[in-house]
Amino acid sequence: MSSPPTPTPLVVGIDLGTTNSLAAVRAGKGARVLRDRDGEPLIPSVVCFHPDGRTIVGREAKALRLSHPDRTVFSVKRLIGRSVRDLDAEVRSLPYRVVAGERDLPRVQIGDRALSPEAISALVLQEVKATAEQALGAPVQKAVVTVPAWFDDAQRQATKDAAALAGLECLRILNEPTAAALAYGIDGSKDGTALVYDLGGGTFDVSILRIDDGVFRVLSTAGDTHLGGDDFDNLLVDRILASFAKAGSSARPSDPYVLQAVRAAAESLKIRLSTEGSATLDLDLDLDSTDGGGRLSLTVTRAEFEAAIAPLVQRTLDCVQRAVKDAGLRIDQIDDVVLVGGSTRIPLVRERLEALVGRKPHTGVDPDLAVALGASIQADVLAGNDRSLLLLDVIPLSLGIETLGGAVQKLILRNSTIPTSRTEEFSTGVDGQTSVDLAIYQGERELARDCRQLGRFKLRGIPAMPAGLPRIAVTFLVDADGVLRVNARETRTGVEAGIQVVPSYGLSRDEVRQMMLDSIENAQADYLAREAIDVRNKAEAMVRGTQKALQMAELPPDQTYAVQKAVKALQKLLAANAEAAALKAGCDDLTKVTASIADDVISSAVTKALREEEQR
Amino acid sequence: MSQASALDPFAVFGLARSLDLDDKTLEQRYLRLSRECHPDLHRAKDTADCIAVLQRSAEINDAWKVLRDPWQRARALVELLSPGALDRTKRLDPAFLADALELAEEVAMANGDAVPPLRTRIAAALEADFAAVRAELQHGAVDAAARRLHASHYHRKALQDLDAKS
Repeated sequence: MSSPPTPTPLVVGIDLGTTNSLAAVRAGKGARVLRDRDGEPLIPSVVCFHPDGRTIVGREAKALRLSHPDRTVFSVKRLIGRSVRDLDAEVRSLPYRVVAGERDLPRVQIGDRALSPEAISALVLQEVKATAEQALGAPVQKAVVTVPAWFDDAQRQATKDAAALAGLECLRILNEPTAAALAYGIDGSKDGTALVYDLGGGTFDVSILRIDDGVFRVLSTAGDTHLGGDDFDNLLVDRILASFAKAGSSARPSDPYVLQAVRAAAESLKIRLSTEGSATLDLDLDLDSTDGGGRLSLTVTRAEFEAAIAPLVQRTLDCVQRAVKDAGLRIDQIDDVVLVGGSTRIPLVRERLEALVGRKPHTGVDPDLAVALGASIQADVLAGNDRSLLLLDVIPLSLGIETLGGAVQKLILRNSTIPTSRTEEFSTGVDGQTSVDLAIYQGERELARDCRQLGRFKLRGIPAMPAGLPRIAVTFLVDADGVLRVNARETRTGVEAGIQVVPSYGLSRDEVRQMMLDSIENAQADYLAREAIDVRNKAEAMVRGTQKALQMAELPPDQTYAVQKAVKALQKLLAANAEAAALKAGCDDLTKVTASIADDVISSAVTKALREEEQR
Repeated sequence: MSQASALDPFAVFGLARSLDLDDKTLEQRYLRLSRECHPDLHRAKDTADCIAVLQRSAEINDAWKVLRDPWQRARALVELLSPGALDRTKRLDPAFLADALELAEEVAMANGDAVPPLRTRIAAALEADFAAVRAELQHGAVDAAARRLHASHYHRKALQDLDAKS
């Protein structure tokens, strides 16, 4: 027996936010945030690449947004783990330049340097690490880093890479709402069902958790990777720009300087409207024009602001209802509501949520700090220091593989508790075949083309055997980080099949939100599309099967003729790409003809042939 | 492609194979097993160990998923008692299918005051299904139980569709 591992106390929890980042550490029964020399816990997730060669991170960088808009990078979390094609619309509203790099991955262009979102996130993480080390007086090498619950596989992996670039070993990628729940139920003594509503700068998450005697169990999660405070800002930005245009100003929104100044003004307007009934904005853009068109005075009332953001707030409430339903609960079974993220300071958000759930939200923990505090608690558990708490999280999106005709068969359903596994058996379709290709998808839609491809797997080293004889058991295992692992074995010979994984970067990554919304809106269309594929496969199998059967069974000529006629009709429909209903009718006609034949030789032969077809 | 024979979820939980399990006891056992086996509380020293811990933890989660739902539990039990029973018994009585079709249409048309009594009726049908499955299993008639499980699928679907409307 080896000696027990030495406890590593300095594992911190890091909330790597769209707007702000911070670290926290477990301290005694609670946790505390790590502040900089000025006592500030929040580090703006902003990096400025100053023309003088310095790289500046945090508050100072945020202050430089106005003077160096094209060299100051913010909201990089919106870019991480995604492709330029996914980002198209968003990139246009950023004052810094985003270009397409290798495999269509986004790169931030600063002068002649092209930086990856991972590298920029790493700079933010380094600043957080340095602040934590200064506050603790000790080096920090390990961390639990949080991500929105709705981040997909690539976004999680990219966040892990950023941590590694910053010199941090990432012990766990933890979901933000789950972390927040840990911060609220810190001693694990308060059993019940909690709803965590996390509206941050760029993303929205909602999770339903059950807390039993120190076990935090996530029952369901839902969200929107593209809904947050930035979107509220954008509504005000539009309003301000419209006022400029109305006043005949020369302020152009395509000018990064103008855009940045207007954005900063919009943000402060939004913050003031959380406490005041109306707020007036006095903006002087100091344009290089003589017409004075850079000056603007604009008053916005809270009622106007609320009317503008109401549809966005409603979208979050729809997510809340879905999460409650997915948890198998009614809304009146929620015991506690926890608010996380700066945008939950907006009175309308609180009012609407309170009206929906019928409970006053908790305000005991600062919504800006809860995620980091919770992450530090999980960090302590993973360091082996705390064995009283256990966190059971779920996978946010279903995993499946592509089957015949482009449909996706779901192997692991969303909201399954992780770790989870599923073993599926495959065979070969051709004699002597020694490899099988599989494509893995993530998403809720029925068809592969509407889900996101995670990667392709090639099973190699299958012993050469007649088609259909090899039995390859493929095990899909999702670990506690929510990351998929695959292994395969030929069960007759016990040969381990090699697996080659080709990750699908650069392929269309539909927004997770869009996938989810689509899966609801398009459930009917999907069902029909899927049905059409199934019917087509069935019709093709019937044609082949019946033809085989005709060769085997010796039938009177008139019956042979009747069967062949029905087969021909069905073939014609297939060739004409007929609709599902017509194909179905054709299949039924053929079934009727074969079934009506007195001699059941043919129907049994058809059944046999069909079964063989199905097994292919 | 087919799902390979699944693990015995009753064995994973150390429980006797039974259709009726106490919800509270089951949940307590799940939480205890999770504490005993979750990788977070058992950081393995080497990779092989790590995979074993992970697999054990996945088994517990997957078994819990099956056992907590009475219908999934019933399906698992039927398959354990007589492997292939569910596949053998897929063909349902045409008369039953006609009734199921009629029910589906009724659900599709139902609105307003017609919904609550319809829901009560379907819920009663489901209860009868479950009682029948229990009775068949007590008599050792596994195939008959499997057939009734297939039939119950249509009732559950009807209830789901009805709930989706409101």
